[in-house]
Amino acid sequence: MEFNPCMKHQLIRKTVREFAESEIKPHVSTLDRESRFPWDIVEKMKPLNFFGLQVPHALGGAGLDTISYAVVIEELSRVSAAVGLCVTVHNSVGIFPILEFGTDKQIKRFVPPMARGDSIGAFCLTEANAGSDAGGVETHAVEVEDGFILNGTKIFVTNGGVCGTVLVFAVTEGEDRKSNTGVFVIEGDRPGFSVGEIEDLCGMRANPVSSLFFEDCWVPKTNLLGRLGQGIRIGLTALDTGRIGVAAQALGIAQAAFEDSVSYARERQQFNRPLSKFQTIQNYLAEMATAIDASRLLLYRAAAQKDSGRPFSAQASMAKLHCSATARDVTDKAVQIHGGYGYSKEYDVERYFRDAKVTQIYEGTSEVQRMVIANSILSQPR
Amino acid sequence: MKTSIKKMTGKWKRPKIMLKIIVCIKQVPMVSELPWNPKTGTLKRELAQGMMDPSSARALESALQIKETKGAHITAVTMGPAMAEEILHQAKALGADEGVLLTDPGMAGADTFLTSRILAAFIQEECQGFHLVLCGSQTSDSETAQVGPQLAEELDIPAIGFADQVEINGREVEVHRHVDDFFEILDMDLPGLITVDLSAYKPRYLALGGVEKAFEHPWIRRLSARDLGFDEKFSAVKESPTRIIDVYSPTTQKANRVLKGAVKQVVDQLFEEYGKVISSAMGKDLKTHEHDGV
Repeated sequence: MEFNPCMKHQLIRKTVREFAESEIKPHVSTLDRESRFPWDIVEKMKPLNFFGLQVPHALGGAGLDTISYAVVIEELSRVSAAVGLCVTVHNSVGIFPILEFGTDKQIKRFVPPMARGDSIGAFCLTEANAGSDAGGVETHAVEVEDGFILNGTKIFVTNGGVCGTVLVFAVTEGEDRKSNTGVFVIEGDRPGFSVGEIEDLCGMRANPVSSLFFEDCWVPKTNLLGRLGQGIRIGLTALDTGRIGVAAQALGIAQAAFEDSVSYARERQQFNRPLSKFQTIQNYLAEMATAIDASRLLLYRAAAQKDSGRPFSAQASMAKLHCSATARDVTDKAVQIHGGYGYSKEYDVERYFRDAKVTQIYEGTSEVQRMVIANSILSQPR
Repeated sequence: MKTSIKKMTGKWKRPKIMLKIIVCIKQVPMVSELPWNPKTGTLKRELAQGMMDPSSARALESALQIKETKGAHITAVTMGPAMAEEILHQAKALGADEGVLLTDPGMAGADTFLTSRILAAFIQEECQGFHLVLCGSQTSDSETAQVGPQLAEELDIPAIGFADQVEINGREVEVHRHVDDFFEILDMDLPGLITVDLSAYKPRYLALGGVEKAFEHPWIRRLSARDLGFDEKFSAVKESPTRIIDVYSPTTQKANRVLKGAVKQVVDQLFEEYGKVISSAMGKDLKTHEHDGV
């Protein structure tokens, strides 16, 4: 059993950290304050393969393994969780299902522009009456002679405001709703598809999360991913992969909050000595470091499990559950250590605190993660 | 008849020689404040995260740009412990054709003189027919700026230091550099050695696909002191003539000075006393602008 990162993963971490600190960090507060998507940074990220992390070289991607992918998302999110979010959603639930369930023709048609970053990906399942319960989806696809006609509204779509390729989860005709589901690939310029207003959210404000509307949106049959009836399976597989990304994102946020707290505790003087000399603060730092380390191990185990080709659903859920709880707890302590300054936008910990919460909600709430883990335990033979 | 001669001469081409470039790079500690070994005066490198020295990265960038425009075979070489292999993978991921690690317990503690000798031994033994050696002007950990010129001396080839721009023209190289208040353009016959200035050639970011590809073929050549012709008892630390007397962190002292008086007086005084410093920082002679309608 090897716990030390290999040279490749170290180099990937340094590479992404250098880029994130040089090109993203100087703008991150402004992007958050102005709720602005960083198109100029995206342009710089395109040639470095950030938008095709696990796409094979032949299709224009970086061909990374899943641990490398997690390291990339962690390091981006350490500087900007909103940029990390864009990249992880694009790569995991945007591209991965096409690579996994698409035909050769679909892969060659949709993946290369996404891998280049020319078309940003999104995945939409959540609706006004369906979130954790995927069976409650009301967006429907009616089969016609030459394709499908989609009608419905999706909400809280990450990358929604900037997406060029959207994977839409919809139900088709039939009594058994769960077995009559499908995932359709919709191009951003397709008639009948439109983007709603950008949501005014607590955190991740540089990511344009929005509603998406489908009004008599016709798509050819070649835009159906996999087969009709595979929707739930595609959705769950996409979410398993997405959970590794969100876990990495949560870990990156926690790491940033921890580093800022250590440095503040060393500098800030109270009662004529630095905060780091107070045992209470030391205890906070020790708890933060331990939780982060445990999260990292869970995350890399889930990623390694996926790379080995073994089932990784429960491991991904455990990683997501623990990493997001860690992010929430560590950012809370970070604000506490910073005191009044931590509650001010003058310091980054306030942003980390806002960004962390949603990692317990999207890509399956913490409650759903517990359901997945429990099902995995209870489905084992006695 | 003329047409046919043209055709004939057009068909005959001098066989193109692939430019062989050797880039000497170094792994340096990522953090500036590190514990020193008080006995030897050297860094405790094992406690540090390593990174490619910034001026080495610029030397590599200049080689990559030559490769992109003229075509070249780039050998990246470093001397150091096993962990230094990382920057060779990085160099390969960026576009170097091969990576060579000179590593041996006997090489530890080499000063710049011994480092130059070891690098020279590698180039003479393993890189026959080379055209250009590129080094960083000075590494961020020791800043001696000695290895490049000493290596040129060992190889008995001409050298130019602190280059801003390097252009290959056939068997010559044209080098632009900024020295004191002057810009120089120099020509040098190849083979030769150039050290690239820290302010030149902003290194490109590493593409993630490049890292993956570099590790798909992760072979790095490792050569020991013996492979390079040194005997079994070779000990760089013993043979190094340099003795470090003391190592300490520099302290910077600032003394603020307030100039008082009428605006014109203050400005005159400012340029009188600090004109040269300001000119140097701005890179232009301010005297030519002193009566520009002000």
